[in-house]
Amino acid sequence: MKVLLVEDEQKIADFACAGLISRGFEVEHCDDGNKGLARACEANFDVIVLDLMLPGRDGLSVLKALRSQAIVTPVILLTARNELDDRIEGLNLGADDYMAKPFFVEELVARIYALVRRLSGDRQNTLQVGQLKLDRIKRQASCNGQTIDLTTREFSLLEYLMRSQGQVFSRAQILAHVWGYDFDPSTNVVDVCVKRIRSKMAALEDPSDMALQIQSVRGTGYRFKPA
Amino acid sequence: MTISFRTRLFVIAGLIVATVITAVMLIGWNRVLAFEADRLEQRLCMEAKRLATQPARGEDVSRMVGDVLGKLQLNSVGQVMLYVEAGRAGASFQSFNWQPEFVHDSAPWRTIANFGAEPARPSDKKNAPPPPLPPPSLDRPDRGDSPPSNGACELASVTRMGSPWRAARFTSKEGRSVLAVDLEATRTEIQSALKQALVMVVPLALIFTALGAWLLSVLTMRPVNRLRKSMQFVTRNALDQRLSSYGEDYEFEVLISAYNTMLSRLEISFQQASRFSADAAHELKTPLTILQGRIEQSLNQTHGSMTQQELSGLLDEVGRLSDITRKLLLLSQVDAGYLALKHTRIHLSETLGDMAADMQMLLTDQTLQCSIEPELTIQADALLLRQLLNNLVSNAVRYCRAEGWIRVSARAMPSGVEVVFANASQSIALEERARFFDRFYRGDASHNRRTDGNGLGLSIAREIARAHGGELALTESAADEVILQLALPLS
Repeated sequence: MKVLLVEDEQKIADFACAGLISRGFEVEHCDDGNKGLARACEANFDVIVLDLMLPGRDGLSVLKALRSQAIVTPVILLTARNELDDRIEGLNLGADDYMAKPFFVEELVARIYALVRRLSGDRQNTLQVGQLKLDRIKRQASCNGQTIDLTTREFSLLEYLMRSQGQVFSRAQILAHVWGYDFDPSTNVVDVCVKRIRSKMAALEDPSDMALQIQSVRGTGYRFKPA
Repeated sequence: MTISFRTRLFVIAGLIVATVITAVMLIGWNRVLAFEADRLEQRLCMEAKRLATQPARGEDVSRMVGDVLGKLQLNSVGQVMLYVEAGRAGASFQSFNWQPEFVHDSAPWRTIANFGAEPARPSDKKNAPPPPLPPPSLDRPDRGDSPPSNGACELASVTRMGSPWRAARFTSKEGRSVLAVDLEATRTEIQSALKQALVMVVPLALIFTALGAWLLSVLTMRPVNRLRKSMQFVTRNALDQRLSSYGEDYEFEVLISAYNTMLSRLEISFQQASRFSADAAHELKTPLTILQGRIEQSLNQTHGSMTQQELSGLLDEVGRLSDITRKLLLLSQVDAGYLALKHTRIHLSETLGDMAADMQMLLTDQTLQCSIEPELTIQADALLLRQLLNNLVSNAVRYCRAEGWIRVSARAMPSGVEVVFANASQSIALEERARFFDRFYRGDASHNRRTDGNGLGLSIAREIARAHGGELALTESAADEVILQLALPLS
C-alpha cells in the first residue's frame, strides 16, 4: 500500500516512515506543502497523511487544491495547532479522518487500514486468528461457533490486538485506540477490560486455552499470542 | 425586581405630562375664577348704578330683587340683598334680608378703578354738592377719605354668616344704592359648569398623557434598540465587524465609536490569545509527538523485558503529559473566548451507556446504579462532550469511597437534558466543596486511594458545559456525597 506522508518536522517524519515501512507500507515523504501537492497529483497513492502546519503551502490549502482537482485519494490530517478548528475545517474540506498530535504510529496504521477498508468496499468483514473469529459488521466475536458476548470496548480492544498478532501494545496505545485521547490516562481501565475478555473466553464450553490468547507482557502491555 | 428602562421612561414621561396638564388646568381654573370675579364686580356696579339712578317705581322690592337676580343669573332671593336710597325722590327701600349691620363689619370700600360706565369727571367732583349723608345704617368706617364722588362705584368684600359676600355701592347725584351678593352662590354656578367641563377633559387628558408618555418612551428607546440589535449581531458573528454611526444622533455616535474602539481592542486581544494558543500547541505538541513516536518505535524494536517495561512506563508518562497539555490548551482557548464548537447530533443515552460500562469496569467494590432515559439526543460538539463526560466519570470513580456507590441519571427536561453524577465520598467540608471547580485543585490526598488526577477535569467540564449554553454545578448534599448536576440545552 502506497502512502504519501507530508510532514515538515524531520524527527516526526523519521519515526512515522520507519513505523509504516516496518508494517509493510510503501512510504514517500515530502517536507513541504507544494512538493506534497505536486507528488499527490503526479502519482497514485492509496492514502495521504497530511500535516496541517507546513512550509510553502499549509495542509488545508493542499487538501483544498487536491479536492478541487478531483483527486479523491483518502486524506488523514495530522493536527497539532488547534485541534478543534482544524478538525472542523479539515473535515469540511473533504478530509477523511484526522489525528491529533501526539499520535501513535500504531494508531495511524489502524486508521489507514480502517479508511482503506471503508473506501475500497472490499472490506475484510471478518478477522480470524485460530478458532477466534470477529465479525466486524455485526461487531460480534465467536469461537468454534459459540458467540462470545463482548461489549463495544471489549470488542475494539480484541480487534486491535488481533489485527497485529504478536505485536506488543502498551496500555497508552490501547487506551488511545479504544477509548480515545480524551479518556483519563491514569485509570486502569485497560487492565480491567483485558481481564474481562479473558474471563469471558474462559467461560466458553471448550476454552481450549483461549483465555491465554491475550498475553500480558509484564510491565509493558498486552499482545495477541503469536501464531 | 428590576424595572425596564422603558417602563421607567414611560412612568417619568407620564408624570411630567400629567404635571404639566394639571398645572395648566389649575392656572386656567384660577384665571377663569378671577375673570368671573372681575365680571361680577362690573355687573354689580352696573346693577347698583341702575338701582341708584333709575326712577323709583314704587315699593315693589321683590320685583326689583327678582330683576337683579335675573341679571346676575342667580336663583335665590337669599343670595342677594340690596338697599336703595333714591336721593331725589327721597324714597328708599331695601330687600327683606337687608342687614344694616353687615356693612359696618365690612372691609373698607374701595373704588373700582376701571368702572368705565361712568368715568369720573374731575370737574363734576369739584363742583358737586356734598353728597347726602349716608344713612346711619350705612355708616362706614371713616378713615378720613373723601366721600366717593358722584357716579362712582365702590366695592367691598364682607363676610356674612360665614360666607363671603361682595358688595357694590354706587353713589350719584340721584341717590345711592348698595347691592351685595353671595359669592358662594355665584362661584357654585361657575364651578359646576367647570366641573362638567372637567368630566370631559380629564379622561381625555389621561389618554393624552399615556399616549404622550408611550410615544416618548418609544422614541427614546428606538435608537437604543437599534444599537442593541446591531451589537448583538456583531458579537454573534464576527469581531471584525464595526457598527456604522451614519445618521445617528450625536450621543449615539459617541457611544458607537466607543463601542467600536472596544471591539477593535477585543479583536486584537482575541487574535493574540488564539495565536498564542495555536503557537503554544504547536511548540508543545511537536516535541511530545517526537518523544511518544520514538518511545513507541523503541518499544516495538526491543524485546528485553526490562527495557520494554521502562519504555512502556515512559509512554504512560508522555500520555499523561499530553493529556495535561491538551487540557491546558483547551482552557486557554476557553479563556480567550475562542472555543469553536462543531455541533452534531449526539445520542446521549448511548454515550452514557458506554461510559457506564467503562465505570463498571473501573469500580472494584463499589456499586453503580444507572437510570438513563432512552433516546436522549442533543446537539453538541462530540469531542468536547466526550471530554466533559469522561471528566465526570473519572471524577466519580476517583473520589468514590471504598464500598461506596455511584449513581448516574439522565433525563429529558423542558429546556434540554439533565445528567446527574452522584457518588459516595469521604466527608468533604463546605470550604473544600467551594474549591471543586478551581484549576489544579484535588481532593485531600490522604482520603483517596487514587490521587493521580491533574485537578483540571471539573473546571474543564464546567467550561465545556457553559460553552454549550449549559451549566455544571455542585448540588447541596450530605457531607459524604458529591452530586454534580449537568444541564445541557437541546441545541
